[in-house]
Amino acid sequence: MAEQVLSSTPAQAPAKPKAVVRKESTLLPRLLTGIVILGAWEIVVRMFAPRYVAKPTGIVIAIPSVITDPKFLTALGQTVGAVAEGLAVTIVLGTIIGLAMGRSPGFDRTIRVYINAFNALPMIIVLPLFSLWFGYSTHARIATIIFAAIFAITMNVADGARAVPREYLEVARSFRSAKMRTLFDIVLPASMPYLLAGFRLAAGRALIGAVVAEFFLSIGGLGFYILYNSRSYHHNEAFVGVLLLAAFGVGFEVLVQWSTRRFMPWYRRGER
Amino acid sequence: MVPFSVTLKRLWQLAVGGQFLTELLDSAKLFTTGFVLALIVGAPLGLLFARVRALRIGVEPYIMILYATPMVALIPFILSLMGFGFGPKVLVVFLFTVFPVLYNTVEGARSIKPELIEVAKSYRSSEWALWREVMLPYTLPYMMTGVRQAIGRALVGMIAAEFFLSSSGLGKLIMEASQDFDTAGVFASIFVIGVIGVGLTRVGLMIEQHFARWRQ
Repeated sequence: MAEQVLSSTPAQAPAKPKAVVRKESTLLPRLLTGIVILGAWEIVVRMFAPRYVAKPTGIVIAIPSVITDPKFLTALGQTVGAVAEGLAVTIVLGTIIGLAMGRSPGFDRTIRVYINAFNALPMIIVLPLFSLWFGYSTHARIATIIFAAIFAITMNVADGARAVPREYLEVARSFRSAKMRTLFDIVLPASMPYLLAGFRLAAGRALIGAVVAEFFLSIGGLGFYILYNSRSYHHNEAFVGVLLLAAFGVGFEVLVQWSTRRFMPWYRRGER
Repeated sequence: MVPFSVTLKRLWQLAVGGQFLTELLDSAKLFTTGFVLALIVGAPLGLLFARVRALRIGVEPYIMILYATPMVALIPFILSLMGFGFGPKVLVVFLFTVFPVLYNTVEGARSIKPELIEVAKSYRSSEWALWREVMLPYTLPYMMTGVRQAIGRALVGMIAAEFFLSSSGLGKLIMEASQDFDTAGVFASIFVIGVIGVGLTRVGLMIEQHFARWRQ
């Protein structure tokens, strides 16, 4: 998907007014569809569902009270903090393992099978195990987040490190660059687009990992906030949490697309 | 932690006792029902969105948003609305699965060259023939990318449904083992699900590569 967006973005500045025109022509059908979806939701819920079920008007009314609710803000902070912490660990660890895999065929052959297997594992499966090892604590949540996210980064960085153009490495060797410097000054920047693609995947998975961990372990956070409120029939309030999660999911997507475009403009060329 | 040998022994016990088979079939039923439903809904809908341009432009952002939304967050709502039956669990697997299929199908169908459709139209192709001869073959490789992504997600959905809705299948096996502090049992179940996960991912990759040859 990133590819589609990247390659369809015009590179030159003069294309700007054109883009504005196109935006106007797409805005109307999008708004209409949105209204139809929300309207249908509202009507169906009003006609058929019990009173407590979330509906668009109810959610809109709930938004101000939810986002000023200190409980909600604490929950948000806890989840975001855990995801950020987990992702930070994941990026460092995942990149190191990925680089090693990409540049050392022996290491790659040794552990690729296992990384693949872990990557194919539905990540939430480890929750019962982590709850045994770490207890019903925030440690178990961090562990789940890391486990959920790390393999996506590792696999992508490994692919990226393998795809570094040979000429770069040859030039580095001709200038007698040290191995470590080659790794961090050439291989790492060259595999940056792959790292970002991996980050996009990993961020989504980390978010899911955090929410599921909170469901399972009953520890404070956005996931638990949603669970608690939907159990006490405050569906509108709970749904504000879901909206926020969706916003994070989309936000990560947009962030990665934007930074690929902004910091790696050369990447577009090799894309197709 | 438990030694690997204990895990293997436990695995053997569970396999011989027949418990694995029952739970496995139970999980398989859930997985297949949700997955097939998602395909039946997602693929034709994706083609329809691609064919009707105004519709596609209208729904695209919403599909993207739903594709990026962590669907697990909806489980509590499904639980309190639909309870503990088989239906809500299928719905969870369906929700996890349908958006990758839909997203990739739309993505593929919108890349159909307009000339192809124009040529078909100038030869007075009927709408049905246009779908069958142009749109479907052109979109199939993309759809299969969606299917590959969906396999992984459906597995997560299956386990999540089995954890958080009525406990059943392989999810139940793990939960029970963990509640009994039977680490070997947990490992044995994870091992089995891991093997299934790797196997299904392989199948997904094979399907995707088979159809990728059609891609231009």
